[in-house]
Amino acid sequence: MLAAVRSATVFGVEGRPVTVEVHVSTGLPAFQIVGLPDEACRESRDRVRAAVLSSGLQWPSCRVTVNLAPSSQRKGGSGLDLPIAVGFLAAHGQIPVEALEGLGFVGELGLDGSMRHVSGIAPMVAAMQPCRPVVPVAGFREAQCVVGEGVRVASTLREVVDALTAEAPWPRPPDGELVDDEPPVADLADVRGQGAARLALEIAAAGQHHLLLVGAPGSGKTMLAKRMPGLLPPLDPATSLETTMVHSAAGVRLPAGGLVRRPPFRAPHHSSSMVSLVGGGSTALRPGEISLSHGGVLFLDELGEFAPVVLDGMRQPLEEGVIRLARARASATLPARFLLVAATNPCPCGGGPPGTCECDDGARLRYLRRLSGPLLDRFDLRVGVARPGVDDLLASGGGEPTALVAARVAAARARSMDRIGMPPAHIPPALLDTLAPISAEARSHLRDELERDQLTGRGYHRVRRVARTIADLEGDNEVVELHHVVLAIQLRVRLGVTTRERAA
Amino acid sequence: MSADDLPPEAYAASLAGFEGMTLSRLAALLRHHPPAEAWRVVNREMPTTGLIARVLSEHSVRTAWRRSALARPPERVWAECQAKGVDVLLPGSATFPALLAQDILPPPVLFARGDLGLLSGRRVGMVGTRNATAAGKETARRIAGGLAAAGVHVVSGLARGIDGVAHRAVLQAEAEGRPIGVVACGLDVVYPREHRDVWAAVANCGLLLSESPPGIGPEPFRFPLRNRIIAALSELVVVVESREKGGSLITASEALDRSVPVMAVPGPPTNRASAGANNLLRDGAAPAMSAVEVLDALSLAPTRSATEAWDLRPRPRRDDIAVYDVLRGEPRTIDGVALAAGLTLVDAAMSLARLEHAGWVGGVDGWFECVGSPLR
Repeated sequence: MLAAVRSATVFGVEGRPVTVEVHVSTGLPAFQIVGLPDEACRESRDRVRAAVLSSGLQWPSCRVTVNLAPSSQRKGGSGLDLPIAVGFLAAHGQIPVEALEGLGFVGELGLDGSMRHVSGIAPMVAAMQPCRPVVPVAGFREAQCVVGEGVRVASTLREVVDALTAEAPWPRPPDGELVDDEPPVADLADVRGQGAARLALEIAAAGQHHLLLVGAPGSGKTMLAKRMPGLLPPLDPATSLETTMVHSAAGVRLPAGGLVRRPPFRAPHHSSSMVSLVGGGSTALRPGEISLSHGGVLFLDELGEFAPVVLDGMRQPLEEGVIRLARARASATLPARFLLVAATNPCPCGGGPPGTCECDDGARLRYLRRLSGPLLDRFDLRVGVARPGVDDLLASGGGEPTALVAARVAAARARSMDRIGMPPAHIPPALLDTLAPISAEARSHLRDELERDQLTGRGYHRVRRVARTIADLEGDNEVVELHHVVLAIQLRVRLGVTTRERAA
Repeated sequence: MSADDLPPEAYAASLAGFEGMTLSRLAALLRHHPPAEAWRVVNREMPTTGLIARVLSEHSVRTAWRRSALARPPERVWAECQAKGVDVLLPGSATFPALLAQDILPPPVLFARGDLGLLSGRRVGMVGTRNATAAGKETARRIAGGLAAAGVHVVSGLARGIDGVAHRAVLQAEAEGRPIGVVACGLDVVYPREHRDVWAAVANCGLLLSESPPGIGPEPFRFPLRNRIIAALSELVVVVESREKGGSLITASEALDRSVPVMAVPGPPTNRASAGANNLLRDGAAPAMSAVEVLDALSLAPTRSATEAWDLRPRPRRDDIAVYDVLRGEPRTIDGVALAAGLTLVDAAMSLARLEHAGWVGGVDGWFECVGSPLR
């Protein structure tokens, strides 16, 4: 009359084990779920009952009590449908209780008894280990990524029951060649002109530097940003698994192979809320865009149009590579190590060469003020993008293709990892002199810029890191030379009201 | 002060601030009635004829004017003018500028602060776009400074961009030539606000004129009217930079209506800020490259200080001069510089860094342009 089934729910990007206890007794017919279920979870009563009946199984008039343990923790989602159904059938004696030993169940049920995919299969399966997971067919690949062999799949409740009662073997999991069905990343060869912006993309990819593209509408900022993921190397196994967990937990479509191997590219609209960007929500703390772009690129187009609080909320993850979300009942740490690429117009009218702007100084200042100084400071690279000239547009040959640039990026990354074991963007200020030594000439140029107030203290460190990446891209340079530093400074354009006019 | 003691200027000042009181309405009103009587006419205490009678038959005008009469009674406007040191001038009075009295569209009433005597000196109007390039501002600065040094007063509109730069240069020159500012709003309403300092300095060292009584804001229709006064007060108008359809071109056409010669500063054909000025040159305006051409047109000899001061900036190296020359014509991005000068990005960056350091080039939002007086 009692059965316990292993399952899990998702919280943040982690699975939390849940034991579904089902008790069937005589009494007034009732079906109750206790243990802090949320709305979707409570509705599973009706789905489970219908699924059991339409699978040709019995639902007699009896009292059914379901407890979701641990009962102090909120549970959400429809993934508990299957364990509840299996638990009921075991408690009612339609399935032998011993058959549930060593198995964990996840899946949503349809009224016709079919099993449907739910988000978060990967983290839930991880939490159920060492039990062998039973998942819907669509969740097979992502479950396999986590536990390897031994994943059981089924497409209907009937198949699960038949396998548990040993009337039929477990259905065979889908097999065959895993074709990468992701659309190809746009190629850099399509971009005409834009030498400085191309170089900035290359440096950003090689050194993991955050990049801000500044330019008039139609100058190709979005086009450039979309080509960024192609320059990054494929994710390493650890990051790949972390990113897969995040995408699974958020219910984002995973590649056919189950594992996210290519750096993700996320481009949320500027009306996005704080929670959608950094993550949150009442029950499950769903990962936000910054976690979804873990290991890849987060592209914020029209940076100035984002709400200032939303942008400021990204400062901590930008520094630490994780986002710590805390709520009254629980807190979670989500991975958020991404490359930030942002685009903005220099002013409300869109700007262009000096003398074409329609805005008055006040309007420009207000616009720039929205991009708070602390956030602007976190961009290592700030590069102006101008509309390509007519000659550039009509030129027959495109620019360098992505493959060539990506090869240089990979070489530079390897050099940096060999020398200092981290991308230059992550060098702490105190270690700059030991890990990224510079020549005397370069040092005196930097001193000059600092003295002329052209560079802030934080900007100084950023420029040195970018210069280190430029040196890595150029070749096997032990010391950062003057021209690396000068280029790094020029790729950090000043945003302002008017040209600094300094008459002699 | 009782109503009977008020001078006619008080009534005119009050009427000029009425809602919907256009230039032609005010002119007609004051042509047919003395100011005190005109006040009674608009309050419908007295009959009238012609245009004003027609206008007064419109309900909306009647209510607007009734509202204005309550909001701006002559005694209050008059007290405000006196408290703020604003002179009210009516045509026919001895102090009313003769230049404007003889104009084809004379202002029915004029508000002034500062030295009206300046209007008997040599006067050149300088106007230009509000969105000027660094090069345009530099030219305005040089021409205005040169004119002031030669004792020529500079008439301008105190707007953002060229106007403000020209007057600042005149004030900085501290020479015989003074600034004459003609503004569209009341003399106590500073617009744009960042010109507060120039505004005050022009009133103190020069002359500030307006057709609007104190308290009237910068309503758009007042700007073209203001431009006609600039044209009427100038012996010659210099357009420094102007868009294809800029306010400066209104000033230029007003100048042509008054047979005032127009000069224009040539700019690169690709520069949007110079399009209007270049069109003027095509249509026959004389080119003005520096104060010397303007002074020639006035048949004045340039003083030494009207020409250039010695440039203290170190002369760039030869390869940097090539980069400077590329930027001379128009602002460019670092890409544009590299492409036009045939350099790699690194070399272009190095060259720009040296030029920027020496003060020949400035950059913002990724665009570089020449700053300061040009390299010779």
